[in-house]
Amino acid sequence: MDMSVIFDAGVVGLRIIMPLLAIVIVYQCYAAMRRRRRPEKPLVSLYNPNSGGMIPVVFWENSIGRSKSSDIVINDLSVSRNHCVLLRRNAGWFISDVGSLSGTFVNGVRIHGRAQVLIDDIITVGKTEYQLKRGDDFNSPLRASRFFSKVSDKPAIQAWKLMFMITMFHLFMAVEAMFWNDGGNVYAPMILFGALAVVEWGFFSVSYFALRRVNFELESLGLFLTGIGVLLLVRQVERSAYVQLIAAALGIVLYCVIIKFIEDPDRSDKIRIPMMIIAVLMLASSIVLGRVTNGAANWVYIGSISFQPSEFVKTIFIFTGAGALDRLQTKRNLIEFIIFSVVCVGLLALMSDFGTALIFFVTFLLVAFMRSGDIKTIILPVGAVAGAFALLRFVADRFNFIADRFNYVFNRFKAYRHVWDYANEAAGYQQVRVLTYIASGGLFGVGLGNGYFKQYFASESDLVFALLAEEMGVIVAIVAALSVALLMIYARAITTRSRSTFYSISACCAAGLLVVQLSLNVFGATDILPLTGVTFPFISSGGSSLISCWGLLAFIKAADERTYSIKR
Amino acid sequence: MKRTLRRSTLILILTIAFIGGIGFFTAELLFNAGDWVDQPYNAHISGSGGLEKAGSILDRDGNPLAQSVDGERVYSDDETVRRALLHTVGDNSLNISTAVQSKYRSLLTGYSLIWGLNMPQSMRTSRDIVLTVDAETCKSAYSMLQTGFEEPKRGACVIYNYKTGDVICSVSTPGYDPADPPQINEENEAYYDGVYLDNVLSSTFTPGSIFKIVTAAAAIENIPDIYQRTWYCDGRETIGKNDIHCYQDTAHGEINLQEAMEHSCNIVFAKLAVELGSEKMNAMAEKMGVNMSFEIDDVFTAKGHYLAPANDENVLGWTGVGQGSGEYEDKVNPMQMAIICSAVANQGTAVNPTYIKGGNGDVLKEIGIKQNKTYDFLDPNTAKQVGDIMPVYEIGGLTVHAKTGTAEVGDEKGPNAWFVGYVADSDLPLAFACVVEDAGLGSEYARPVAEAALETAARLRGTL
Repeated sequence: MDMSVIFDAGVVGLRIIMPLLAIVIVYQCYAAMRRRRRPEKPLVSLYNPNSGGMIPVVFWENSIGRSKSSDIVINDLSVSRNHCVLLRRNAGWFISDVGSLSGTFVNGVRIHGRAQVLIDDIITVGKTEYQLKRGDDFNSPLRASRFFSKVSDKPAIQAWKLMFMITMFHLFMAVEAMFWNDGGNVYAPMILFGALAVVEWGFFSVSYFALRRVNFELESLGLFLTGIGVLLLVRQVERSAYVQLIAAALGIVLYCVIIKFIEDPDRSDKIRIPMMIIAVLMLASSIVLGRVTNGAANWVYIGSISFQPSEFVKTIFIFTGAGALDRLQTKRNLIEFIIFSVVCVGLLALMSDFGTALIFFVTFLLVAFMRSGDIKTIILPVGAVAGAFALLRFVADRFNFIADRFNYVFNRFKAYRHVWDYANEAAGYQQVRVLTYIASGGLFGVGLGNGYFKQYFASESDLVFALLAEEMGVIVAIVAALSVALLMIYARAITTRSRSTFYSISACCAAGLLVVQLSLNVFGATDILPLTGVTFPFISSGGSSLISCWGLLAFIKAADERTYSIKR
Repeated sequence: MKRTLRRSTLILILTIAFIGGIGFFTAELLFNAGDWVDQPYNAHISGSGGLEKAGSILDRDGNPLAQSVDGERVYSDDETVRRALLHTVGDNSLNISTAVQSKYRSLLTGYSLIWGLNMPQSMRTSRDIVLTVDAETCKSAYSMLQTGFEEPKRGACVIYNYKTGDVICSVSTPGYDPADPPQINEENEAYYDGVYLDNVLSSTFTPGSIFKIVTAAAAIENIPDIYQRTWYCDGRETIGKNDIHCYQDTAHGEINLQEAMEHSCNIVFAKLAVELGSEKMNAMAEKMGVNMSFEIDDVFTAKGHYLAPANDENVLGWTGVGQGSGEYEDKVNPMQMAIICSAVANQGTAVNPTYIKGGNGDVLKEIGIKQNKTYDFLDPNTAKQVGDIMPVYEIGGLTVHAKTGTAEVGDEKGPNAWFVGYVADSDLPLAFACVVEDAGLGSEYARPVAEAALETAARLRGTL
């Protein structure tokens, strides 16, 4: 048999294995997230001495009131719709009155703000009395949520096995890159892979041995995607691959710092204003110090290091938006956050960074809705922005001096869903090439480093979906995209098991932000949405972007109650 | 906490929308991947990319026009055939974007969405494509364009079967040998100007007298006593503000419609156009597809142009004889003229042409050939009458109804010579259009090209 046929078969075999491995890895990450939970049992319970009834208290923060959507509903007309919040902190259980008419009493004493409650204390809400009991005193079974239906003490997969599969995937990428060598150093991919493996396993060791965390799935997923992004660069701009790897390490550090920083869910309330001021100053610095790069003035250069402050502001944005349940219920108005959001979006628009401005805007909507639950908080701003945009377009059509600045945006709208008619004009140039090279890669890709799309501008950042699809195949590209999107499913599943609404809101909004960013990246490049100019979370080349993704991931990790409360 | 969960549904919806979007994209990819790949900028297939083991391109008799032998792309061993079919077959480059080897490169190289474009060569399944063209007929037309006159001529000649749509002959000059593509530089760029353009599909020319077919159709439909009429032609006459004249001011005397067609009398047809008025002229041009682009095997033909002015009788008259001027200048595309002639020959209904006969596997399906697409350009009655007044020629034993054209183009260039028409014999139903640029009389330049091709095609009698 001809040697070349055997060789070819090997290449094809490798190409087929990698998408399958990617599917297994992502599946295992999510399967692992569902396991090793505390069983569905009440934390404490409320005993009503008059009726003899027992109410299980299942959340770390529980709203109590007459409103049907309260966590603990009391059908007593003397109870306010939102009466008080029963919450658990490291120091024990607290009850906090959230502006009820008739007041909340502990052992007969009216409370103001948070007051600790101990087991067997009597809580009086309106005319109803409860005695705080242990969780074990409630002994009917509780219904588990679907996501956690298979809760057991055994992990779905040992964390190190999952990490091993991820390392293998990255190794295969490096092997492919060695094989498709177009004149560079043959061993460069292997050296990079070695450095990547050190970062990955270093992080794993710290989490496992030093922090003694029981689970590593979320980090595994982040590492899987980050590694793909790093290795994609090795046959494009090798130097960037190392910059990306350093950014990954910094991102992991930021990840750990944020988790530590938000350990106390009540702290965010105290330092919200200073954080907002820092964020605004950071954005303003890009306007003052920033240099215009590719139409948007969102880069700041300090010496030879450049970064995008807007990326870091994303984490602050999430941080300032969320809050603990009793704070959310006492302080209903969003005015602080609205002003902050308007300033952020305004500054981004001034920088002509419309992609990021849009992400902030949508995230604002998500935060506002998560806090208020009022659909008006969505309709009004969307209407306002749509109106402003229409007005801008109207003005731009008449006065050319404005048109220049927004021309690119309008051009994209003009070519939207008609990109083939603009194949050689700015309005459709990128999109048609994205589609062509995605199709050229087929399901399994042409091999890492063997593509041609890497020669195009922004192929490693805004258009990385096409680079990934061409070289690694459309299966890997879609699996990578879905793995980010599924973070939202996970964030939602752990919502009620978070230690505070601060975590659940910030996790959902962080995941939502990532999904919005992902949508703009993937659908903008493929002409399903008329906008481009944002990065693919974790994979796109760009240090600031990668670091901020790890920062956002920290919020999702923090929402998992095991992060702080369970040690191995 | 429950509220937070309920509100997070909004973000869940976003995520579901994203997953839906991915589904939508996947569907688009499945349906369009082949088209997305075949782009001239696609570096995977440009150069001779992927041709090492690509399928063959054959003519209707199975003669190889392009095939891969030992990793090399080789073309017909007859140099004239190679040159004649350059624009139809294509070369290693993707420069001629309308050629089969460019537009169906992914099919030839065995592209599949599953394996993409980088399947190892030893594991590919490539497709062969059989064309409808007849290499010998194309060769005859090309030889005449290249060597039949005092110098090689630019032009185009297309012949197709008006019953089946099969394109028998399609030639465009200037061309080059795909086995030895020229390096285009400052010295030869004038000669090679527009060499990558297939004049049959992608160029338009001033039609001159061949446009009288359209004017005649309008007159036959709208003027009841048209056959009882006669006109007097003095060779030159003031119509509107300026003169309209016949070729070299030749006077034709007292003539009827058929004689006017035969002598190609500008005075008569200009008067007819003026009498019909811009509205009826525009309507007939629109009806006969003059302003249309035709989709032929994934290529859109260059759009013709006809627009008659409402308030300038002189220009209106000139548009009626295939000239016009400024924004009212007439333009037609050679393939389009062949299609219009096919409607005249075929009771007013034209069959859309195709270059693709078949191949191995499901090539026709993969390409998506719309075999049965037709256009109703004329009423059957009008079509027959237009055909009847077209001059009749005897070429290679075939009865040919045809119209010559000599279109003035100005710019110190000689006129465009045209010869368009159809074969009336039912056993060789061919429609054709030939054009020669910077030439002279249609009968002296375009007719010999068409004759050469038709004489060779005549041997296909009964086999089509």
